[in-house]
Amino acid sequence: MKAFLIAFGVAIVLAGATGAQAYHRFWANCNYDAPTFMTTMTRDAAQSYANAARYEGYQWGGGCWNYDDADSYPYDVPGDPSAHGEGGDCSGLTFKTWRESTDDWRDGRYYWRALRNVHGPYTAGDFKNGLGAPNHIVAKSTAGVMDAFASSTHIGMIFTRSLYGGDQIVEAKCEACGTNIFYRTYRSDPSYGGVARWGWTG
Amino acid sequence: MRRPRIRSLAGGAAGIVVGVIGGIALTSISAAGWPKPAVSGLDAVHVPPLLTRPGGPVTLRFAIVCAPRDDGEPCDGSGSIYVRAGQSGPFRQLELSRGEDSSDGRYFVELPSELASARDGFSYYAVLRDRTSGATMTLPAGGEAAPQRSFPLRDVTEVALGVHVFGHERAPDERVVAAPWGSDVGEVGLAGSRELGFGGPSSFDVASDGTVAVLDQVNTRIQRWSRAGVKATSVDVSGGLADFALETDGTMDVLEPPNRTSPAPVLRSFRGDGTQRWAQRLSDRTWAKLAAGPSGPTVQQQPSEQWLPVAERGAALGRAAQAGRGRPGRQFANGREVLVERVGPGELRLAELAGNAVVRSWRITSATPLGEVQLAELHGNRLVVVTKTYTDTDDRTDYLVLVLDRSGIPAGFAVESLEWAESAPLARFRLAGSSLYRLGSTPVGLFVDRFELEVSR
Repeated sequence: MKAFLIAFGVAIVLAGATGAQAYHRFWANCNYDAPTFMTTMTRDAAQSYANAARYEGYQWGGGCWNYDDADSYPYDVPGDPSAHGEGGDCSGLTFKTWRESTDDWRDGRYYWRALRNVHGPYTAGDFKNGLGAPNHIVAKSTAGVMDAFASSTHIGMIFTRSLYGGDQIVEAKCEACGTNIFYRTYRSDPSYGGVARWGWTG
Repeated sequence: MRRPRIRSLAGGAAGIVVGVIGGIALTSISAAGWPKPAVSGLDAVHVPPLLTRPGGPVTLRFAIVCAPRDDGEPCDGSGSIYVRAGQSGPFRQLELSRGEDSSDGRYFVELPSELASARDGFSYYAVLRDRTSGATMTLPAGGEAAPQRSFPLRDVTEVALGVHVFGHERAPDERVVAAPWGSDVGEVGLAGSRELGFGGPSSFDVASDGTVAVLDQVNTRIQRWSRAGVKATSVDVSGGLADFALETDGTMDVLEPPNRTSPAPVLRSFRGDGTQRWAQRLSDRTWAKLAAGPSGPTVQQQPSEQWLPVAERGAALGRAAQAGRGRPGRQFANGREVLVERVGPGELRLAELAGNAVVRSWRITSATPLGEVQLAELHGNRLVVVTKTYTDTDDRTDYLVLVLDRSGIPAGFAVESLEWAESAPLARFRLAGSSLYRLGSTPVGLFVDRFELEVSR
């Protein structure tokens, strides 16, 4: 009995410690459900999807958030995917908003819900180069709503154009920035190119 | 050492198993207590047709943005427009139709010709609904007190720029600031990394005596370069890419972007010694540009696409008060406003407004794509405009400085685009007296150049 009690105490402390760490990692709340295959994908539904990720934080290499309008772990170490915090990164947010497949040869439409933890196979630079069957390069001057501007290090989607010639961009820019809509001038920035998703249905 | 007995080993193993199961169970109970998702609010997108071509049809388009539906389909929305001919009088209600395409806004109304072609333009606001949640919103938020105002471009001065020839940029007349990256006084902070991109000082302004003030937000300070030297003043800012404006009484305004802990943009007003006077949340969710207006700081905001004053005579205005004072253009000391509308790949429409009447207007077309308008300010009887031009094919960019009068462009030149580190979006140029100042950066550091506008070349 003495051995049982000692071993039980040690085990529950260790399991509790592991559990506490998991509790403090947002990914413990995420799931790995299959996406819903869709026949439709409209630009305004994409606006709503990305808009709802605002305030939910940024996680380098991440792609999982809830809708409580707060970043659960706002001070994760930047650039560390093992932080397992809330939010997508720039390419993860774009991948989920654009309903892409984890297989880069598929160009169908896959609806990933917010708590589904998926980043997708593309970096910002991959998007910039139009890699993957669903993606292609477009002229920046004609890029429209929910197309995107991508550099080798970042991608943001066009929420809408604006009067002064810049764009309202919905993006997961950095750990300190979180995910939000910012006014940007990527359209005329030579480090950015235009990129878009094939297959919008409205 | 005594060898363990079988009973002890079995008891220990059972203890480990039960303990691990217990720990996992406790963890599961903790995780189950996570906050439940909230429903995100209603939002909208609308780009107002600020300056219309007389006689042409006008279609007002809106995107309604709501909490994502579980079936992945767009919002079930609806809306009404309250519109009138001219800039005063009662509004008339029109219902929005729901279209098949959402590229430019799914919800639309084609204005009847008596409104679209009214001599003094038209004014309007929208009330939009998400039928699923029942939420409604008014756009612009000021409603009938501060509606969208649209004006016809009559007697417009047409300017055709043609194809821009790169490689003929004008050299500055003077480099007034050259600061290496660093944290000592006279140096400026650099944030970021090669992998994530770099951000340097995000904005600057120039006092009437030529003192250049740089928002060195990475080092949480404002540095002022004058003939007497460099002076640094600490300010309590978040470090994000903020805009900055100096008021004539020495007040320093810093317009902060949303960040991980403050999801809404905030304007902070600092005294000359760096102590904060007040901080005020903006009326809208997004900002494009901060400027010192005749009565205080004013901000071009979205989704209203209006210039909203954030303070008057030193006192902050609440969000409703800002919205109720929205105007289509930036206001200047003489009471005039300048309206800016970039249209399509290469068209720029500009107008000077007195009250609600257009005094002068310009329509500029370019065969090379135009980017953002960095600056559009009255300078005597002329309008100084700085816009960016770029190519889609080989990533070339220049700034175009256009000095406009009724005859067109009596003076204009190109300025090289030197932007190694990111700044606030429309904070690259400032006009002070007859000098145009440009903020730029290289891998070595930051600089501010001066271009004299009164020189004929």
